[in-house]
Amino acid sequence: MNWLSKPVRGLLLDITGVLYNSGEGDGVAIASSIEAVKRLQASDLKIRFVSNESSNTRAKLAAKLGRLGFEIQEEQLFTPAPAAASYLRQHGLRPHLLVHPGVQDEFAEFDMTDPNCVVMGDAEREFTYQNLNTAFQLLIKLDRPQLITLGYGKYYMETDGLKLDVGAYAKALEYACDIQSLVIGKPNAEYFSAAVADMQLTIDETVMIGDDILSDIGGAQKAGLRGVQVRTGKWRPQWENHPIVTPDGIVDNLAEAVNLLLAQNAA
Amino acid sequence: MTLKKKLAVLIDLSGTIHIEDCAIKGAIEAIGRLRANPRVRMRFVTNTTKESIGRLHSRLQKIGFDIAKHEIFTSMSAARRLVENERLRPMLLLEDVALEDFEGIDTTNPNAVVIGLAPSQFYAERMNEAFRLVLDGAKLIAIHKARYFKSADGMALGPGPFVQALEFATDTKATVVGKPESAFFHMALQSLMDEESAEEISAEDAVMIGDDARDDVQGALDAGMKAILVKTGKYRDGDERKITGDPPALDSIVDAVDYIERLIDNS
Ligand SMILES: [Mg+2]
Ligand SMILES: [Mg+2]
Repeated sequence: MNWLSKPVRGLLLDITGVLYNSGEGDGVAIASSIEAVKRLQASDLKIRFVSNESSNTRAKLAAKLGRLGFEIQEEQLFTPAPAAASYLRQHGLRPHLLVHPGVQDEFAEFDMTDPNCVVMGDAEREFTYQNLNTAFQLLIKLDRPQLITLGYGKYYMETDGLKLDVGAYAKALEYACDIQSLVIGKPNAEYFSAAVADMQLTIDETVMIGDDILSDIGGAQKAGLRGVQVRTGKWRPQWENHPIVTPDGIVDNLAEAVNLLLAQNAA
Repeated sequence: MTLKKKLAVLIDLSGTIHIEDCAIKGAIEAIGRLRANPRVRMRFVTNTTKESIGRLHSRLQKIGFDIAKHEIFTSMSAARRLVENERLRPMLLLEDVALEDFEGIDTTNPNAVVIGLAPSQFYAERMNEAFRLVLDGAKLIAIHKARYFKSADGMALGPGPFVQALEFATDTKATVVGKPESAFFHMALQSLMDEESAEEISAEDAVMIGDDARDDVQGALDAGMKAILVKTGKYRDGDERKITGDPPALDSIVDAVDYIERLIDNS
């Protein structure tokens, strides 16, 4: 497969649909992925787990993955909230937060009096007219209204049904204020680049593995990475001839990708 | 303009015949003159998603207008008409005060979503419910798509952003029923004909009077009607230049009624 035609020194791994499937409680681990992650952690490859999860801090996410059987360091998790925090830091911004209470700690360092931007994540129950209106009133008062979103999904599946994701509510505020939001998360190319930079590697020596052909594979390819599709999670058979995205490799699951890669690196 | 039979006169409310609780000077008498004219049929047309027809009616009566309840046609009447014509069972995202306009409509096992300005309904759980219906094929009907409105404590989000959120997440377009949609003007005319059952009134035998260049005047012209812009209410200098079709722009409803009387006399 051509994704192995160049040396690989680092991997970006999607979490949901690659390591585990969501469901009741913590969800269910994809059994072969537990062993695969173990082998990767023992190799000299660098890894980041790249997710759009915006309702948990990295600490809580690492703990949850630990309960599912994965040994993952908090520092190996790359999620939108800390990436947004570093963007805010670089630009001297004071955020107003419309995020899930579980992720607020990632923004503890910021002065939130007199905010000059809005950061929005999947706030779940916090998505009320009152909270959206507060964010709106703040944005339209600004000379340059800036809305920063943690991911931009339309909806996702929970055990009790489909839920609107942050992208839908971001769209609402974009329409009200006539602005575009800055998306921090997949499939944004800068988000993948930042994850690669976090490993101190180059785009050229890194491969992304995910289950979402548009967001994971298409997004990674736009950033110049090789993208490998797994046939787990939200994968659909008709994606094998996808009209927009052709993956650099397709594997049954994470374990197959890891087998191929480690065999190649050993040779 | 030449007139064959009867003339339908559609008249905007706020800014055209009254402002808040005061009549526009001469408006009460001007409406009386129209009513006395045997060749005129009237409808009072307005975009509202908060006030029921009952409320609008009692407000107009208090001001001193001789207007019957059935002569008022609102964007909610249009939504109701659409629901009835297509035999839909809507989930109603409306405030309680607006619900009376939908009395008698079957809302069990919904296959449509009607959305107006309803802050008390715009929270995650209820939005998710609406989202799932639309994703499953329910028709999305928006009373209107205003971005925001002036409220007592500053600007506040209108229904538009919430409609936009549902449209984005479900990849659909809402059917908007208020002014300036052509369908609104045609339905208002239809409601007149239902009453005057013997008589067909075509769009060219209808004239719209309003203070809003876009929603009232351009909308009616685009629907094939005649229109008169009045320089009261929200009218701002030069508004007539934003209209394609060169309709008369007159000082107030009083001059508009004079104009219509001359029109009838000359035909
Ligand atoms: Mg995934
Ligand atoms: Mg008006």
